[in-house]
Amino acid sequence: MHSKTLGWALLAPTLILLFFFGVVPFIYVLFVSFHQWNPFAVNPDMIFNWAENYRRVVFDAQFLASFGVTIAFVFFAVVSELIIGYALAQAFMRDFPGKAFFRTIHTLPLIMAPIIVGSIWKLMTTPSIGILPNILDDWLGYNLNIGQSALQAFTVTVIMDIWHWTPLVTLSLIAALVSLPPDPFEQAQIDGANKRQIFWHITLPMIRPAIIATVFIRLMDALRTVDEVLMLTGGGPGSATRYLGVHIFKEVFPRTNYGYGSAISVVVLYLTIVACWLLYVSLIAPRNTRKG
Amino acid sequence: MNEDTKPPKPGFLPIETNWFDRLFISVVIWVALSLFWFRFIEPLGLSIWICCAISAVLAVYIIRKG
Repeated sequence: MHSKTLGWALLAPTLILLFFFGVVPFIYVLFVSFHQWNPFAVNPDMIFNWAENYRRVVFDAQFLASFGVTIAFVFFAVVSELIIGYALAQAFMRDFPGKAFFRTIHTLPLIMAPIIVGSIWKLMTTPSIGILPNILDDWLGYNLNIGQSALQAFTVTVIMDIWHWTPLVTLSLIAALVSLPPDPFEQAQIDGANKRQIFWHITLPMIRPAIIATVFIRLMDALRTVDEVLMLTGGGPGSATRYLGVHIFKEVFPRTNYGYGSAISVVVLYLTIVACWLLYVSLIAPRNTRKG
Repeated sequence: MNEDTKPPKPGFLPIETNWFDRLFISVVIWVALSLFWFRFIEPLGLSIWICCAISAVLAVYIIRKG
């Protein structure tokens, strides 16, 4: 068989699966987003309403507020995860007593379902029974009540996300650090480079692809956070933690507003693609050597 | 000459692109422009179809010259 034909034949199962589980649902959501559709209403028919849903999205104050808090959430969560994940990866590269045990413990949040993470954090932060408000009150005299304080609710959701997803960053960066060749580091040490210089000029450029891939994964994931936040705060207090995913959930399920919910989903997908694309262009894309 | 062996087309975009990249950039700009138009221009009375026409012209330009 011709190598190109063989290539397509081997790719075919994946492409077929991707088509049915990725492309078809997307086209359906896109189709629904141009309709007014409430399947549980008196009239359950889909009514084509041009781009009315999109027109509504850009004037939806709640959507715009959700967009703002989501950007803040993604920024703080992903940056913190990257910094803490790198520090932990470096720590786990060294030998210390109980390293295997700590590494296992550290990875545990990763295998927990987001809904369970949300439940655990809700239990931990409930003022009357939670361990966190009690400890903070006893030790620091600090009153933690995420049901009342918007800032506290936002901060706790960020910390919860960091707790849940930092192990992913750590594991990716450990894999990248382990695969680095020792020669450039030895050479730099012989040349008298200090730790900071080695980090900026050797380690960071060499693990850059792993960092970018990890940031891509976390960015896409953080932008569509729903379950753990919904479980922990329910999007509140007010709209303080009503991230885009939560906003879509509340628009689609309790209000059964499928057309409008689909339009918001498409906009969120668009924003995610644009964010990742800009990151790709600024960090990876090959430069155009001749400008026209 | 095969598409794979063609040298990347130099254009006004700062990155190397193929026709699909430029199509993608055009769609991204089209959507952004439409949402911007809905929010700020349409309330002034200008139809969204004007935005579509501008976007289409822009898309053709980017795909051909980008």
